[in-house]
Amino acid sequence: MKKNFKTIFILLTLISCEDVIDIDVNNAEPRLVIDASIHWLKGTNGNTQLIQLSLTAPYFDDAIPPATGANVFILDSSNNTFNFIEEGNTGIYKNENFIPVIGEIYNLNILYKSETYIATETMTPVVPIESIEQKNDGGFSGDEIEIKAYYTDPENIENYYLFEFLILDTNSSTLEVYDDEFTDGNQIFAFYSDEDLESGDQMLIRNSGISERTYEFLNILLQQTDEDSGDPFETQTTTVRGNCINQTNPDNFPLGYFRVSETDVFTYVVE
Amino acid sequence: MKTKFLWFLCVFCFTILPLSAQEKFTLSGTISEEKSNETLIGVNIIFPEISAGTTTNEYGFYSMTLPQGTYNIVISYLGYSAISETFTLSEDISRNFKLTDALESLDEIIITENIENLNIRKPQMSINKLTSATIKDIPVVLGESDIIKAITLLPGVTNAGEGASGFNVRGGAADQNLILLDEAIIYNSSHLFGFFSVFNPDAIKDLKLYKGGIPARYGGRVSSVLDIYQKEGNSKEFHMNGGIGIISSRLLAEGPLKKDKGSFLLGGRSSYAHLFLPLFDLNNIAYFYDLNTKLSYKLDERNNIYLSGYFGRDVFRIEDTFENTYGNSVLNFRWNHLFSDKLFSNLSLIYSDYYYDLKLNFVEFDWVSGIQNFNLKYDFKHYLNDKIKLQYGLNSIYYNFNPGEINPTVESSGINPFKLIDKYAIENAIYLDAEHKVSDKLALSYGLRLSSFHRLGQDELNIYENNQAVTFNQDFQIYEKAVPIGTESFKRSDVIESFYNLEPRASLAYQLNSDSSVKLSYNRMSQYLHLLSNTNSPTPLDIWTPSGKYVKPQLLDQYAVGYFKDFNNNKYSLEVESFYKTVKNRIDYIDGADLIANNAIEQVILNGKSKAYGLEVLLKKNEGRFKGWFAYTLSKSEQKTPGRTALEAGINNSEWYRTPFDKTHDISFTGSYDWNEKWKINTNFLFQTGQPATFPNGQYEYNGLNIPNYGSRNADRLSAYHRLDISLNYTPKPNKTKGWRSHWVFGIYNLYNRRNAASISFGQNEMTGSNEATRLAIFGVVPSISYNFKL
Repeated sequence: MKKNFKTIFILLTLISCEDVIDIDVNNAEPRLVIDASIHWLKGTNGNTQLIQLSLTAPYFDDAIPPATGANVFILDSSNNTFNFIEEGNTGIYKNENFIPVIGEIYNLNILYKSETYIATETMTPVVPIESIEQKNDGGFSGDEIEIKAYYTDPENIENYYLFEFLILDTNSSTLEVYDDEFTDGNQIFAFYSDEDLESGDQMLIRNSGISERTYEFLNILLQQTDEDSGDPFETQTTTVRGNCINQTNPDNFPLGYFRVSETDVFTYVVE
Repeated sequence: MKTKFLWFLCVFCFTILPLSAQEKFTLSGTISEEKSNETLIGVNIIFPEISAGTTTNEYGFYSMTLPQGTYNIVISYLGYSAISETFTLSEDISRNFKLTDALESLDEIIITENIENLNIRKPQMSINKLTSATIKDIPVVLGESDIIKAITLLPGVTNAGEGASGFNVRGGAADQNLILLDEAIIYNSSHLFGFFSVFNPDAIKDLKLYKGGIPARYGGRVSSVLDIYQKEGNSKEFHMNGGIGIISSRLLAEGPLKKDKGSFLLGGRSSYAHLFLPLFDLNNIAYFYDLNTKLSYKLDERNNIYLSGYFGRDVFRIEDTFENTYGNSVLNFRWNHLFSDKLFSNLSLIYSDYYYDLKLNFVEFDWVSGIQNFNLKYDFKHYLNDKIKLQYGLNSIYYNFNPGEINPTVESSGINPFKLIDKYAIENAIYLDAEHKVSDKLALSYGLRLSSFHRLGQDELNIYENNQAVTFNQDFQIYEKAVPIGTESFKRSDVIESFYNLEPRASLAYQLNSDSSVKLSYNRMSQYLHLLSNTNSPTPLDIWTPSGKYVKPQLLDQYAVGYFKDFNNNKYSLEVESFYKTVKNRIDYIDGADLIANNAIEQVILNGKSKAYGLEVLLKKNEGRFKGWFAYTLSKSEQKTPGRTALEAGINNSEWYRTPFDKTHDISFTGSYDWNEKWKINTNFLFQTGQPATFPNGQYEYNGLNIPNYGSRNADRLSAYHRLDISLNYTPKPNKTKGWRSHWVFGIYNLYNRRNAASISFGQNEMTGSNEATRLAIFGVVPSISYNFKL
């Protein structure tokens, strides 16, 4: 909700200008990045899951190195072990016999370069996306296509949502997170608009249930990636710590997050 | 025999003793401008033979108690012809003086070298005074004279960049400045995100900025006091003053209500650039307007009353989606009363309101927040004798904070109405200040302020285990909001928490010789309100929060030492000052702090401390065809927010980090040159070390996004800021003294089009997918024209 305000202060752009400049930045030692997002898509068995491990790279480099040769598995509370096997040297680890259960507690364990990284999460359910509304003269400047994805929030429960708006043709993805602080129990919408959106574009809109901790993490993370400054709600830039810890050497903490969600997908073709 | 002796004794008693007792009498009165009856602040009243003197106070009143005798008195004030008179003091005399404009008077009185420079002698230090005329000469962007931009040219004063509102004094934050307009507190000092200030320069009479050595009569903010007084208005005849510029225009009307007794002042400003936007097919609106009003009435020789008002609003609208309105309103009633020739008093009753409204129609949401306060001040200035002047009084402020109220804009909106809990508080203070001339060489100023703050009852105050509102998660090494274990509700008349602080203030001036002195000062200040802002410079949405159970008052100690010298009979002056200040209880936010619509701010803040120190040099040329000043400040301003125990990380690993407004070097030069009768050239040059910033030291990918990974807070800097401005004042008919008089101002801001970085953001290039750094520069070269008139 609040993130929508970020492009508001366009007044500055009326007279100001933006230039790309050359600048020197420091390069820190590489860290492990854990991209472990388990999605149980509604209407599927959720058996196939992927985890991606990579390393941090110098800021202006073009390539992100993968973290290869790690030992990755997830345990559930019944002690089922789900092993993730790396595909070649890509840093992508795959499992094909995952058992998703709403409310189940999952423990992630990664052994990489002799250090063990762990995280815990609970599978969070989600309400379905009910409908999509499109308006062709919306957005901030009044001439953008805007998409509203409607859902009804369960009353009297604290709910948090991650919306992903994926445009298949350009492979671009936009993430938005919502809470229900001011909308508890109501029908509300997730909002997306983009000036590059055109009629005929194919979109995948995903709604995932997330925990409060995940919401806080994503909220800060998404603001770090936001190019538009001037947001009055913006937080200080900082290293965003996720929920994974390095058991062997706490100072060598990993980045990224371990998230387990039920997800609803809506395929939409822009009119 | 006995009777003769007794008779002799009586005669002795009645004649000799009174003569040797050296009776003292008081000379007092008001000094004002001849043609308008406008009282003048800070006029020098000097008695050269006895090396004594005084100045008029904020209401133009002076009082001097001297032994019986005959004296020569000289009255001098910059821009006006001096008056020199001789008078005999054998009883209390009430004498008002009228000064005439130096340019308009026919015979000028030459001031002899015996005149001491009162600035050198007074123990006040760390003060800068600016006249309205000086402010109007300083070239600014878009040609609009701006008080706040003018003070950033002084040493020790900077701001967080273009487009940033507020200003920073000696490494202090923007919420640590007490801004007073005719004794009333102003909360937000700028329009349109800092592009314009809320002060109309035509309505201003006098302005003083206290950066240190703050007298006990001021309190409530720790870093500085910007004390601004408006004109009363011409009580002799009607006049108008105005200007038309590219972006905005202003008009001021003043005149008598009753000749020589009452006057009014009515001034307004408005911007209208938004009217041109439809030409560019943009249905957006951005404008501001403000209104200054003042009514003054002289009841009799001992009583004056004033009623002033200020009303200002900023309005933004983008299509129908976004509407933002905010501003200050102030209503102020004052009564000057002379209890005696030596005791002047002023009673002020003030109401002020700061209102903020944000409507986001596309998400069907309306947010309103604000702060209201009622303020009573009673100040006494007691001119005891020629050596001691006392000031004492009391101040009481009642606050009502509305941290925010959310309402749906349409019935079908998915937003539930929500009201953040109102907070209430009372702040009180009593003070006593003395200005004491100990000897010919030594002058002291010392005082004590006792301030208190009472946080009043409210609904639903959270209770936490161990009173810890923020917890530290050891595993993730981050701070998190603590879950309250309950809430308490109080009656409005209950006091949840009280704070008391004794604030000693002291300064000393020691005369080295007739034109140079050394000064020292110490002050302790306390601040009970905090401006919560997650950004580097204030935005109108920042929330003022009172101290209470979980948020402690800020306490500052400032030490300053300075050397002052006048050259060539005050043609040039040099001020060198060094300061050191520490602040306890400076709050900072945990990572990812959620400040908006947060009923429990205590869950996202940590207490820390800050310190700043530096050296300021100011070299001024005060007279002649060329006037101006050069200022250089070398300083450091940093902050530390350690963990509460050894196990906690604190912010930035509990190490010192730069404040967002730490600028190592700050050089300003401003000058104006009278080319001839018709033309005047003004120029500014600024150079500042780049603002602190946090740059990434790596990147990674997560969930399809490219994320910059940031290093230590504020460890990097933007590139240095520098620019040159010039402006030309053209007066077509310089000799006209009546009727329609006009002058043009042609200006160029940022003459060599330097792209000064207001911010640098890091992100991916949409086309190539590579990371890049993008600099946002707000103003390139901006020319401006304005037409100004006086009637």
